[in-house]
Amino acid sequence: MTADVLVSSLADGRAPRRAPALARTLVRQAPGVFFLVFLAIIVIGPMLSVVLWAFAETWWYPALVPNTWGLKYWGETLARADIRSALPLSIGLAAAVTALSAAICLPAAYAFARLRFPFRQPLLLSFLATNAFPRFGLYVSIAVVFFKLDLVGTLQGVALIQLVNTLLLMIWIPTSAFQGVDRALEEAALDVGASRLRVFIQITLPMVLPALSAALLLTFVSTFYEAQGALIIGIPRVVTMPVLMYSIINSQVIVQYGAVISLILWLPSFVLLGLVQRFVRGGTMAAGFGV
Amino acid sequence: MTTRPIAPKTTNTVWPQRLKDHVLPYLLVAPPILLMTLLIFLPAGQAIVETVWIDGAVTVAEYIKFFQSPILTANLWFTFWITLATVGLLFVIGLPLSLYLRFARGRIAAAVQMLALFPLFVPGVILAYALIRAIGPHGLFDTLLHQIGIDGYVSPYLKPQGILIALVWQEIPFTVLVLTAGLRQVEDTMIESARDVGASDWQTFWRIIFPLIQRALVIVFSLNVIGTFGAFTIPYLLGPAQPMMMGVSMQQTFNNYMDRTGALTQAVLTFAFCAAVGVLYVRTVTRSPEGRP
Amino acid sequence: MSSTVAKAALRLGLVSALGLAACAPTTPAPTALPAATQAPEVSVINFVTDSDTNISDWIQNKVAPAFEAKYPQYDVQVTIVRGVGGGSGDVADRALAALQSNADPQVDVIEFDATSKPELIEAGLWQKLDSTTVPNASTLLSGIQTSEYSLPYRGSQVVLAYDSSKISEDEVPHTFAELVEWIKTNPGQFVYCRPDKGGSGGNFVTRAIYEVTGQDPSLFEKGTPNPDLVSQFPKAWDLLSEIHPAIFDNGAYPAGNTAVLTLLANGSVSMATAWSDQALQGLANGSLPPNIKLTQLTDLPFPGGNARLSVPRNSRNLQGALDFVNYLMGTDGQVSVVKDIGGFPAANWNTLPQELQQEYTTVIAETVPLWPGGDWDALKNQGWYENVATNIPMGS
Repeated sequence: MTADVLVSSLADGRAPRRAPALARTLVRQAPGVFFLVFLAIIVIGPMLSVVLWAFAETWWYPALVPNTWGLKYWGETLARADIRSALPLSIGLAAAVTALSAAICLPAAYAFARLRFPFRQPLLLSFLATNAFPRFGLYVSIAVVFFKLDLVGTLQGVALIQLVNTLLLMIWIPTSAFQGVDRALEEAALDVGASRLRVFIQITLPMVLPALSAALLLTFVSTFYEAQGALIIGIPRVVTMPVLMYSIINSQVIVQYGAVISLILWLPSFVLLGLVQRFVRGGTMAAGFGV
Repeated sequence: MTTRPIAPKTTNTVWPQRLKDHVLPYLLVAPPILLMTLLIFLPAGQAIVETVWIDGAVTVAEYIKFFQSPILTANLWFTFWITLATVGLLFVIGLPLSLYLRFARGRIAAAVQMLALFPLFVPGVILAYALIRAIGPHGLFDTLLHQIGIDGYVSPYLKPQGILIALVWQEIPFTVLVLTAGLRQVEDTMIESARDVGASDWQTFWRIIFPLIQRALVIVFSLNVIGTFGAFTIPYLLGPAQPMMMGVSMQQTFNNYMDRTGALTQAVLTFAFCAAVGVLYVRTVTRSPEGRP
Repeated sequence: MSSTVAKAALRLGLVSALGLAACAPTTPAPTALPAATQAPEVSVINFVTDSDTNISDWIQNKVAPAFEAKYPQYDVQVTIVRGVGGGSGDVADRALAALQSNADPQVDVIEFDATSKPELIEAGLWQKLDSTTVPNASTLLSGIQTSEYSLPYRGSQVVLAYDSSKISEDEVPHTFAELVEWIKTNPGQFVYCRPDKGGSGGNFVTRAIYEVTGQDPSLFEKGTPNPDLVSQFPKAWDLLSEIHPAIFDNGAYPAGNTAVLTLLANGSVSMATAWSDQALQGLANGSLPPNIKLTQLTDLPFPGGNARLSVPRNSRNLQGALDFVNYLMGTDGQVSVVKDIGGFPAANWNTLPQELQQEYTTVIAETVPLWPGGDWDALKNQGWYENVATNIPMGS
């Protein structure tokens, strides 16, 4: 059914309404202001309590703000040997996993988008399986194999587990981006004698770059925050920041350690949010999920 | 399949055509497929076999045991209930938000979008931690109410509502991203012509927009259900002791009762449900005009 | 799975981030030299523990640096095996395997009670720890060392923590029966955590089991649970179900020791069970307000335990291991136990500064009942979840 048919079926002869300009502006802004306030309370509210805790030395109910403020726990948290080793480890691990993921997924995404071969679509859709089986059930089975391969408690083991979690994002989003590339432009460039490599670098790459960047950044962030796989496969030798966060939140009396670590963990997020903001606008990410 | 012709250029190539057509694609997709086979399909298959192949014979005893346990079946229903409520609430919040983001321009809209995407950057453990202190008993919100003279606040902490709030919070960005993208496929001209012929906002939404974004709705529904059903961190830290969601239940069975097969049985049941929803997703995506994802 | 986890983990040496790309397991080079002839400038002491974060934090961030400052020839490497398979027990098993194959056990000091695995003692895995090998062991409190192969070095016990601004001195319960009465008459004011998520809740449940079985912890022996006693568990479930509606927020059980302390600290409840060390630490650093007081039941105290150290005979740094144990048993180590983690010292109080003793006198119990754990725990936890935390009756 085309939209025209629908529209004409809706036609009932009423004249289009026209409100005065000022009222219209107000009405137009009202939903925006509503959503802004709503989200600010919902999203920022919980985060605000964490920020306050991070700068509190003592905070007892029913005080609305901390009884004593201070940076004492920042010093203590940053001086902790476990955090000092976990932070660079987590950043390095997330970067390495993202790079590896790109290395194995992007060529595959290119093939899924541009080459025609039997079972193309079933294979592409099969990556949904990486999300469908409960992680815990998988890790229990994987752990057995990893013991035999001496991978438990190693960076390689954790990296492998985290790598498999990135496949869905790193294949679906770039695949749809490669599909969206205008082939006519590429062929025109080839016709005037440009080499394939040059066409790829100068024509194809710029067109898929926003989607690739979104995929890379999201992969980095989700890997950086991944805790369950790192917990089951990584400990005792490999302790990442989220794993540390788990044990500190669950079994440390001092609330502030958790608050300070939360803020430290946000640092990369804030930087990345600023970067990713530009790219996710065009729906490049959503396209990867089949929209 | 894509609507564009996919005939790779054959000039300029040093490889024989057959090799390129029949081997290259598989070479390129092999590494991720292999990794997924080794780390998802094999362990998942092994888990399934372990639950039905006991003492050298095929048996469904573990599944009968599961469905005969009032506690475990209560956990399963609880998980269904929480999942449905979460996804329902996501639509209630996500749809108006996405409609707004689709049609609004300017700085307010940009700020709203940034806030809506922010949860993408907050891991579950930090969220749970933040929520306990924000809306938990005698938390920030409770204190605020107390200061203005309202007492008797009932906190959602350690209740099903606690899980619900946190899961919805976590999934808002994905929901908004997919719905907004779906809405962008509705051409401005269609809506304008509907308006021109006098359709109300509600009519425009229900009869023009809704049919066109059904695909996005199904995608949001199925991927959110899959993501929520197996949740662990949030229900573990914010939910009640009983009933518990399946993700918590299976770890409990494994770690506390040292019942590996029982835990895997729960994992397989969870998987069966997610797989069923996955089929819905796959059917929606493959029926599409462009055949993407 | 459990027996192999830590084994595999410990066999692997330190892996550099650069090794990632290779994705190949690394195998540490076998160290054939015995400890005595190994004379490097700094020798590593591998310390393994499966304790809660407050303990591993303390060893890693306080004890190890202080010890290394005093003994610059050593470098203490702390490995936390909490939540991994059988924890320290797996590491002990692996040490035995190493002893039999003459390999490096990769562990020098382990927080582990040797008596929990008698077969390892028989196999001759452990180094004797007494005043001949660890001079400071002479200050040990009498009666707390149950085997010459493990040295208790700190204790902790579950106590009752209450808000003294809401509960007057004479209202504070002194027996378990009084506590139950108090909980019922003050609905919503008491909380304990899920027994499997934290010992402060677990030992409250254990104490309820002791209550219904005649207050005699000695009946509960390590190993296979005694069916006579297990058959009496339902009486404990009845008792706990009776108070269930009067627990915080109509029966909401937090998922850990610290979640309970958070509720107590912010005044959501006015009484809770807590680990003595965590509560004392919280009071010392201000995360618990000063109006929180601690007390112990006088009829039969809440259970607790001593943490013990063991040293495998095949340690590749035996001298370092003994020096580290000796340091922990010495005045510096024991004062740190009391001051930094609010633990009970294992050494006689008279070897420690006087003012320290006065400060902590209220929470020091005469006896510390011990719960055997193992299979007993599985029965206890499952029973609690099925009968107390839920209203669903145990069916077919």
